[in-house]
Amino acid sequence: MMNNKLGKILLALALGVFVLSAWQIQAGDGKAQGQKHPELDYSISCTECHEEVTPEIVAEWKSSKHGMMNFGCYMCHGDGQVEFKAKPDTEGCLSCHTGSPVDASKGGNLQCFTCHQGHTLKFHQ
Amino acid sequence: MGVTRREFIKTSAAAAAAASIGTALLPGGIKPLFADSGMQWHKSVCRFCGVGCGVMVGVKNGKVVAVRGDKFNTINKGHLCIKGFYLHKVIYSKTRLTHPMIKKNGKFEKVSWDEALDYVAKKFNEIRKQHGPDALAFYGSGQAETEETYMANKLFKGCIGTNNMEGNPRLCMASAVGGYLTSLGLDEPSGTYDDIEKAELFLLIGSNTAEAHPILFERIVRHKAKNPNVKIVIIDPRTTPTDQVADLHLFPKPGWDLAILHAMARIIIKEGYADEQFIKDNVVIKGNDKKNMTFEQYKQFLEKYTPEYASKISGVPAEDIVKAARLFGQAKTAMSMWTMGINQRTRGVWANNLITNLHLLTGKIGKPGSDTFSLTGQPNACGGVREGGGLCHLLPGHRKVANAKHREEVAKVWGVPVKNIQPKPGKHTIAMFTALNEGKIKGIYIMCTNPAQSLPNASKYWKGLKEQFVVVAESFFPTATTQYADVVLPAAFWAEKEGVYGCTERRSQYMPKVIEPMGEARWDAFILRDLGIRMGFKKEFEKYQTAEDIWNEYLTLTKGRDMDLSGATYRRLKEVRGLRWPVPSEDHPGTYKRYVKGDPIFDELPAEKKKGRWIYFYGKPEGKAVIWARPDKGPEEPTDDQYPFALTTGRVLEHWHTNTMTGTVPELNRAVPKAYVEINPEDAKALGIANKDQVIVETRRGKLKIEARVINRPEKGTLFIPWHWEEWMANVLTIDAFDPGSKEPEYKVCAARIKKA
Repeated sequence: MMNNKLGKILLALALGVFVLSAWQIQAGDGKAQGQKHPELDYSISCTECHEEVTPEIVAEWKSSKHGMMNFGCYMCHGDGQVEFKAKPDTEGCLSCHTGSPVDASKGGNLQCFTCHQGHTLKFHQ
Repeated sequence: MGVTRREFIKTSAAAAAAASIGTALLPGGIKPLFADSGMQWHKSVCRFCGVGCGVMVGVKNGKVVAVRGDKFNTINKGHLCIKGFYLHKVIYSKTRLTHPMIKKNGKFEKVSWDEALDYVAKKFNEIRKQHGPDALAFYGSGQAETEETYMANKLFKGCIGTNNMEGNPRLCMASAVGGYLTSLGLDEPSGTYDDIEKAELFLLIGSNTAEAHPILFERIVRHKAKNPNVKIVIIDPRTTPTDQVADLHLFPKPGWDLAILHAMARIIIKEGYADEQFIKDNVVIKGNDKKNMTFEQYKQFLEKYTPEYASKISGVPAEDIVKAARLFGQAKTAMSMWTMGINQRTRGVWANNLITNLHLLTGKIGKPGSDTFSLTGQPNACGGVREGGGLCHLLPGHRKVANAKHREEVAKVWGVPVKNIQPKPGKHTIAMFTALNEGKIKGIYIMCTNPAQSLPNASKYWKGLKEQFVVVAESFFPTATTQYADVVLPAAFWAEKEGVYGCTERRSQYMPKVIEPMGEARWDAFILRDLGIRMGFKKEFEKYQTAEDIWNEYLTLTKGRDMDLSGATYRRLKEVRGLRWPVPSEDHPGTYKRYVKGDPIFDELPAEKKKGRWIYFYGKPEGKAVIWARPDKGPEEPTDDQYPFALTTGRVLEHWHTNTMTGTVPELNRAVPKAYVEINPEDAKALGIANKDQVIVETRRGKLKIEARVINRPEKGTLFIPWHWEEWMANVLTIDAFDPGSKEPEYKVCAARIKKA
């Protein structure tokens, strides 16, 4: 069971590396160049679509503290049109977490996601 | 388009999976944590709800480029809800109004400030001369700063001489005011947010705390996580995100919850949870006829309210009512919180009374962790309108127009003849807009609010807005209201002006001006000042050169009052994260609890008056609060065969009021792009309505075509519509019947029907 789960994660990781290696991120603005969110149906929310297409991600998010506060995908990823960040930076986090203690033993150029998982927000194992 | 939706879904799933295991797959684009970006940060207050969260405003090159939670503010400790998170984006919205306009031949034309203000002054003076001062009116806002409301109060009540001076808090907080005055003797809560972390039980009634007051919800969640013994009881007709932490949820039919509160009181007494010594020392009991009752008579009155009877009335299982009462009775400390579900009712004052009854019966008031705590919807409804006297029957400093001494005190400070201030209250909001329809009011100045969308039974009141002379001072254009304006005046927005907001917990906080107003926009207080001067009140208004001038004068009117703010000078407010009144001197720290030791007013009461009591409700005779034996009235418009559904309206996390602000933020629009009507799956099945079908919701007042959301949130027989959108205006459906005491309308329940479009 565990091996199966790990296998899925590794497969997803491999896929992710394959897909994302094609992406060029412009330093500082976080906008994907050459890879955009597909045409948006503005009559539905991010969550409505992603509950259908990436239900496990939405479930992970909902299990997080942010999910419990009902913050949506847009908070990190942008609205998908004016701004889209496939890989969010730390700027958004700092709006609320300026005072959060950081374990400096992890190294120099720390980012929130160095320690926190992207959707569950739990610490990496 | 370089990618299809299907391809994107695959790649985003992979990226998401990668992100979820924390692999940094993307090179570059990341700044060091806590980097100094060269920004200047300024301490301020959030512009949205009444919680009063502290924000830091980041300014670079004369522009606001970021907002952060203020970690030194004890209300939110650096956290923000998502509305506050995007506040800076609202400033630079494309819908900002940047120049004055006058409607000429049906079209708005840009004009100079001189032309606009001269025109308004001329028209107002003509109306006043021909029809008297009561043909004019002002309609303001719980979002206006205290200084802005103060100027409007002086211009209309003190100079023009009309008490037709109202504000939108009439639509949200008036019943809470009525509840506090009748139960405890003075307006506003006795405790503060500090009680949250000390409470053992929360009674959340008529409050979707998670979406309407997210930061308080977060504090409750954290407190419960640390203390698993903490219990949360919800009384609300609908399941909401607040239910994530509920231990017990009672689902009354909308508008039928008064019997539940009486039944809870009955169980509390019968099962020995009442603190009879507390009642004997600190409480009187009154019937609805205001005559005193004995405790025995009160018990007799409650006999009718068995759990079974309350169950029959409300639809809530009797055993749940018993459980709720026991949880309240057994908890050492209890904090009740409520919002519009209680206030926006034809018997909102009574509902407020019955909640407070539970606290007075058990003595759970005046102690850490115990309070009867009304939550506020707007950032300065408490400060500017309740304390500042921005309603038709009030004057600054919790004073009343009907009180001769109060009129004299205010007239003296304003420098106006006392006869200018009429002794009779003016027209409350619904009466005001009715008078506008009837032509009795011929000119109205609307500031920082959007009544064409926010009034109940809204379309009924468009007639008056069309026909009379309407001035709208606003930061945004167009709005539902500006289309009816004869003149629109561009108002400086948050961060473009300084002033004070007073939040739910009696805390006044200073907001700095950190950038110049956009375009030709001006500060509302100075627009009113300049209008006053042009109307002929030069000596009354020319002395106000700064915001601090206005605030300092206002402070003199709070001296010695229950809400004494004398110690909350600008100098001090600029340094601290707000002060909670009473704060009678500059060396006073502010007050955590009213009516008890530590409250400077209580502390100064003569010992013979207090007679050894630890709590003294000094706004009431003998310092005794009132337990009210009120009837259990249902909604004004109950369901029937023709309109079998109870329609209730409310809020979503991402939007606020009429969307003039949140509707300009792309992310918030993505989150909830449109309105919808929630319908219970059983009801939907019976009517052949599927999720996302277009449906028609109809009441006796109007119809609305809207998308159906088939979801297990509303109970069977209930519909819910979030009210934020002009395009799907829920208020064409709502009822404008109002509480006879507070004059607050019953937005929260009316009879409706629904069918497939």
